[in-house]
Amino acid sequence: MKFWEIGKRNLKEIYRNPVLLGFLLGMPIAFMLVFVAATSGGQASLIALSVADEDGSQTSSTFIQYMGSVDAIELNEPIYSKESQAQEDLENGKISFYLFIPSGFEEAKQVQQTINLELVYKAADPMLGLQLKPIIEAVGSEFLGVAPPLNVELKGTESKIKNPAVNFYAPGIVVFGLMILISTAAEIIAGDREKGFLARMFTTPARPWDFILGYSLPFIPVLIISTFIYLGVGMALGLTVVGNLGHAFLIFFLIGLCAIGIGMIVGSLVKSESQAGVSWIFIVPIAMISGTMFTVEFMPSALRSVAGALPFIHAVDASRAILNGSPFSAIILDIYWLVGWAAILFAVGIILFRRTMVS
Amino acid sequence: MNAVQTFKLTKEFDGLLAVNGVDLEIKKGELFSLLGPNGAGKTTTIRMLCCLLKPSKGTAAIMGYDVVKTPFAVKNLIGVSPQDTILSERLNCWENLALIGKVHGLSSDRVVRRSKELLETMGLMERSKDQVRKFSGGMKRRLSIAMALISDPQVLFLDEPTLGLDPQARRTIWEYIAQLKGKKTILLTTHYMEEADFLSDQIGIIDEGRVVALGTSQELKTGLLEMRSMVVSTENLTAKVMEDLHSKYSRLEMVKEKLRISHKDLDFKEIVDYLHSRGVTVYSATLDQPTLEDVFIQITGKELRD
Repeated sequence: MKFWEIGKRNLKEIYRNPVLLGFLLGMPIAFMLVFVAATSGGQASLIALSVADEDGSQTSSTFIQYMGSVDAIELNEPIYSKESQAQEDLENGKISFYLFIPSGFEEAKQVQQTINLELVYKAADPMLGLQLKPIIEAVGSEFLGVAPPLNVELKGTESKIKNPAVNFYAPGIVVFGLMILISTAAEIIAGDREKGFLARMFTTPARPWDFILGYSLPFIPVLIISTFIYLGVGMALGLTVVGNLGHAFLIFFLIGLCAIGIGMIVGSLVKSESQAGVSWIFIVPIAMISGTMFTVEFMPSALRSVAGALPFIHAVDASRAILNGSPFSAIILDIYWLVGWAAILFAVGIILFRRTMVS
Repeated sequence: MNAVQTFKLTKEFDGLLAVNGVDLEIKKGELFSLLGPNGAGKTTTIRMLCCLLKPSKGTAAIMGYDVVKTPFAVKNLIGVSPQDTILSERLNCWENLALIGKVHGLSSDRVVRRSKELLETMGLMERSKDQVRKFSGGMKRRLSIAMALISDPQVLFLDEPTLGLDPQARRTIWEYIAQLKGKKTILLTTHYMEEADFLSDQIGIIDEGRVVALGTSQELKTGLLEMRSMVVSTENLTAKVMEDLHSKYSRLEMVKEKLRISHKDLDFKEIVDYLHSRGVTVYSATLDQPTLEDVFIQITGKELRD
């Protein structure tokens, strides 16, 4: 149980270090507070729009094409003929929102009655709805002419969620908080190597696996406790857990393992504790493109592809979906993705850390 | 069997020979000092003996165990206090000692017993529950040595144990090390002459990766120095007397109004008698004891600086 002694020491070095703890706990909590307080979003640059057209008329079809011709909008295929199909895909996380054109759309235009459209979105993503509504209104008014009054109703799908803003931001910021484990792990490993502590420990009869376990396992209680605290703060701010909290924990645990693995990689590659700080150069951008703090619906598709190849956006999407009530089956692909990444990153981390010991 | 034995131990870094064919034989219970300037190869030698570096050539064994072939057997037998005081800064004394003790496989009871003994010996009991980042340099050194001793090792490596400490703290550490003499085999590296002189049973002078002299302090001083010196405080010293002395002895110099005479096989009585016979008043005459510094300068041709 030599690894246990090394692990205990590392855990003490973490929780007795106020600066490290401040980063690990303070920063995500501060972000959560700030984002929950904020209500406004930016202008959409590119919107992937799904449409449920129950009118099925020539007019509605032309309207949809007109919407698709707008620079800021990209039409998702196929166009749903039944709203129930769109709702199902929304529930399963395949789409983020859809525009519902009810039957009677063409007739209402012809007789210049009020035209009612619905913009249906996951209630946990209110920023998206708020940003989209004026665009749909503007484009719709232009197409229909000024005469027929247009009413675009924002409609969230989840009524159980008390504060949609918190349900949107909290899961993302939990993931961001766990990403801080990258720099924490990297700085501990690199710092111990730089100061010679690892060298001193290498003169003891501890075996390589004692070091590998001793430098990875202590982060697991940190990861679990941090997740509890982040979610606790989120709940105190109004986070509604509609889905299975255990599944959400599984997602956070897996992304935490990914972060520890990356931390081990960075800590093994850099030469000093200060160099380990470079991990922030990629933590922040990746957090941004992974939707931890902002919706990624408006991001260019190329950037979304980059984010999609990494594990973090999957953790954000899956945890939001689970906390908002989606079934586990809806996030199973995200789970596979996270398990795969966690295994790869941990394996590479162990190989590089072991190489450090040999060198 | 020697406690530490090296044969042509060599370490090369990118074509630079840091340690060049070092042969050492350190007997059990002996305190051996490796004395040399910065960059002489002392720490590299210790790092090879502690299994932290693989030798480029040659062999080394601790209590008969080869450092390359059986590193874990070696690590079970040694305690190391590295040159930089490396402690777990946010742990207290007990926790630092327990970490090393338990990694060496000591039971919790034994760790507590040994820690108590060592903390008392090292004078750290009073501050034992404080995080060590708040300690002075001297206290950290003492704890570092205690950590090296917690597993009751057969061979103790102390790499520059007093580097950077003030004279008082240095003296305190010497006293602790002196208490261990005879109980443990100790290999100590230092570039302080007086430290090697005060503590060592045997001294190896290392320069540019080579051991250039080996022996006890006395052997090195008397055996390796070709010349002995005496200092005479006089009055009425004439030019004629000086001329006569010059013709007979290799080196004469005036140091702070005193005459210093150096010569191989210097005869103290003969010089004093000669001065008296020439009417020179001799207030005092003393044999100038050679220092390790003299030995070092003579062997390497350079001075050893702190």
